[in-house]
Amino acid sequence: MKSVARNARLKLTEAEIREFAKDLEDVLSYFSILDKAPDTGKHDFNSVPVSNVLREDEVSREINAEMLRDSMDTYQDMVRGPKLT
Amino acid sequence: MKIGLEVHVQLPTKSKLFCSCSTSAEEPNSSICPTCLGFPGSRPSLNRRALEMGVEIARFLDCNIPEEVWFSRKTYFYPDLPKNFQITQYDSALGTDGCFIVKDKTIGIWRAHLEEDPGRIKRVGKSGEEVSLIDYNRSGIPLVEIVTAPDLSSPEEARIFLQELLVELRHIIGTTAADEQSVRVDANISMGSERVEVKNIQGLRNLEKALKFEASRQFKMLEAGMKVIRETRRYDEERKVTMSAREKETEEDYGYIGEPDLGTFSVGVLARSMSTTETPLRRAQRMAGHYALEFSKMRQIVLTSMPLADMFETLAQNVEPGIALAWTLGPISANWSSLLPRLDEQMRTDLASIITQVVNREITDSEARRRIGAIASGECPNDLSCAVEDELLGTIISAYIDEHPQVVKDYSANPKSANSVIGHVMQVAKGKYNSQEVVEAVKKEIEKRKN
Amino acid sequence: MTCLISTEKLTALNDKYRPFAEIAQDLKEMNEYPPKFHFSAKDNICATGFQARAGSKILEGYRPPFDATVVRKMREANGILIGKTNMDEFGFGTFCTNSAFGIPLNPYDLERTCGGSSGGAAAITALLDKHVALAESTGGSISCPASFCGVIGFTPTYGRVSRYGLIDYANSLDKIGLVTRSVADLKRFLPVISGPDRRDPTSCVQPELRLDGPKVKSVAIPEEALQNLDPAVLRAFETALDKLSEMGIEAHRVSMPSLGFALAAYYVLATSEASTNLARYKGMLFGVRGGKIDQSFNDYFSEVRSANFGKEAKRRVLLGTYTRMVGFRDRYYLKALAVRQLIIKEYQGLMEKDDLIITPTMPFIAPRFTEIAKMKPLEIYQADFLTVPPNLTGMPHISLPCGYEDKMPIGMQLVAPHWEERRLLDVAERWCDDFKIRFPEVSG
Repeated sequence: MKSVARNARLKLTEAEIREFAKDLEDVLSYFSILDKAPDTGKHDFNSVPVSNVLREDEVSREINAEMLRDSMDTYQDMVRGPKLT
Repeated sequence: MKIGLEVHVQLPTKSKLFCSCSTSAEEPNSSICPTCLGFPGSRPSLNRRALEMGVEIARFLDCNIPEEVWFSRKTYFYPDLPKNFQITQYDSALGTDGCFIVKDKTIGIWRAHLEEDPGRIKRVGKSGEEVSLIDYNRSGIPLVEIVTAPDLSSPEEARIFLQELLVELRHIIGTTAADEQSVRVDANISMGSERVEVKNIQGLRNLEKALKFEASRQFKMLEAGMKVIRETRRYDEERKVTMSAREKETEEDYGYIGEPDLGTFSVGVLARSMSTTETPLRRAQRMAGHYALEFSKMRQIVLTSMPLADMFETLAQNVEPGIALAWTLGPISANWSSLLPRLDEQMRTDLASIITQVVNREITDSEARRRIGAIASGECPNDLSCAVEDELLGTIISAYIDEHPQVVKDYSANPKSANSVIGHVMQVAKGKYNSQEVVEAVKKEIEKRKN
Repeated sequence: MTCLISTEKLTALNDKYRPFAEIAQDLKEMNEYPPKFHFSAKDNICATGFQARAGSKILEGYRPPFDATVVRKMREANGILIGKTNMDEFGFGTFCTNSAFGIPLNPYDLERTCGGSSGGAAAITALLDKHVALAESTGGSISCPASFCGVIGFTPTYGRVSRYGLIDYANSLDKIGLVTRSVADLKRFLPVISGPDRRDPTSCVQPELRLDGPKVKSVAIPEEALQNLDPAVLRAFETALDKLSEMGIEAHRVSMPSLGFALAAYYVLATSEASTNLARYKGMLFGVRGGKIDQSFNDYFSEVRSANFGKEAKRRVLLGTYTRMVGFRDRYYLKALAVRQLIIKEYQGLMEKDDLIITPTMPFIAPRFTEIAKMKPLEIYQADFLTVPPNLTGMPHISLPCGYEDKMPIGMQLVAPHWEERRLLDVAERWCDDFKIRFPEVSG
């Protein structure tokens, strides 16, 4: 559970870890019903076939970049982010 | 020593991989939109030209290309990644199991695939305490990632590999100098049993430097009886050293899933519809073999211009390849920037016949050079009648000097002795040539005869 | 802006029933020509002039700089967007109790849920005459609240309506649809919101939308769908089947063994996709920002996420992260993809013989909030067992009010093959010609 939480960038209290661990255990054991299902081997990502939808390589701009910048936390037009180490 | 590279090259499309933002932007955060910023509600759509370029590259590298490909989400958390997942191709590369030949050595290509570039982080602050400032102009620019087998055996070889690969890519997809400067490489290098990954090396020169440093670091450790730990490092351009990358400590589980928003793409059909053109270095290799000439000379020709290589091969039909080479790399190459814009069948024929005539001693060396120059400067229309007229000039001068050999002897002491020749020509040719031309031609002929 | 209803009236309604997360501020009640209509949008659908918070604290302050395609189309058709409706955080829920900005109360009984996750949309449609609501369904979030609130809930085929501007829950499962008071509204607005949009590639493979076609003659009832139902629901459903038979629609009992896998496959795929969709919420660029920026990025991200995601969101992110991890991915994520295809095949096979599949929409009437508080997560997920299958397969489906227990509405759900929305409209029209929908008494 701890490694799952770290992977998901969630800081959990000890109590939360216990509670979620129990929830996940319940749900995952319910999920094990999938083991009984026949495997079609078909791994389409969508429920209807979506193929060959392409966009032409043209530049277009609908929203002003300055407006987008103003909505973000910037310093000299660069977006501020947290420490890297 | 074993070196394998993961090369990331930006594709020269007009718009980004998944949105219509321009790929060229000057000011920071000026080419951005909700999609490349990952705003909630935004959605990707695939750039057709990027897909085509990716397939062209996979074909060029002799890869196996599947019938269908799709995209996947690679989830990890970093400030430069707007969605905290990168749309890439995980279990669906455009091409696998290809190869690329560098100086007669075959380097295995494991895969080539498309993915989006993250934003660019500028680190500010003291080392070890840096905060990030991010420019998202780069976010969403199409990248092709080319992964090699660990077949490279020296830092120099790695650099040459990348160099030659970039030459070929220039021809295939039109990468520019700017795209080449932004090439990024993750290199895996091992001297012994453990391999070290050096991430995010930018550019050719840094690649060789980083690998040289790392190889030397590993060598020293092994010499001292220490073990090289398997780890990820990054190259510090300023201090020219590799350093342990403390940031991405834990092995990230990327938890790949398919990207449902894009669907699948029939690249098999696309690949089969493409025609093959010969790339510069492959052509140089072929010509070197066919004409039994040095590869480096053939490379020089193709890198100047492919039509120059066409010109060379035309000449080589008519005269001995070595001579064709000399004339190609000599006067023709020297005048190439003037010749190329007006190059056509007639010009090619004219040039070829000039060389043939010089080989058959019908015209002199310097006459041939002059004619080539004349064609280049467009003084003379591209038909032989004009060249014949110029021959007349040469004939007049030669005839006179033959009759008056004293002129040549006197010339060293007194250059003015040339005036008699000049005067004669001007009179005989009745104003056909301007005085400048005549003066130069006379002087040239006298100089020649002196030697 | 002139509209058939004023901001004042809407605010009063909201004080009592809480369907809205946000109301348009400048609406003045006036009749005018040409007439405009009013509509609402679930708060995960982006619209300029409003925040889009998708029921989550982490999106507090997000003002999208663009309209979702569906909002643009409705506005171009002369509609006025009067407000954003309350929902479970990101769509995670069956009772709209996971909303950070107000839990909507059932217009028939204020102590009961509206259903979810499009609870607010269904509530306002039940309360407001001449209203149409844009809603969204991933696992049943249009059918469920429509059933609990006694209105019509229509979920088109996956890919029929552009998702550009929809804040994602699960990209292969999300569909934008409509909650309406009449079939006429459905027929009027479905063509408005449908159609290919180059900004959403999945909307570009649809055949043309047809509203008319041959009459529906028969429906199939999977036996597995009649297990574990509230007796009131079963009674209402069987009465409805009798009525349909009088209308010339035969009902056949069939078996759908793969139905038993649908819930598990759905939750695996939905949480897997959702956990990646929610990765972008890290306190940068939009929504909640301004935490201690001088801490390491992993700490910064973890802090803002943990403080601003609700419990159910965390639960689903954890679940979905797990099902994608190395060592589990094959067993859960890949298997679920394969099982989805299996269920699609089974549905398609059955609908070669019968025109539609029919089941009750929910296994019970709208529960009380006190009852919901006692339910465990898995129990709540299992309440979706009737709405999940057509959502998993992406087939169009409709929930129609078919009866009442006391005053509480009961719904029945019809499922058509991909792209065959017209079959649903045919039955809905014939049904609603006969069945009198009892709208709630609205006070205040």
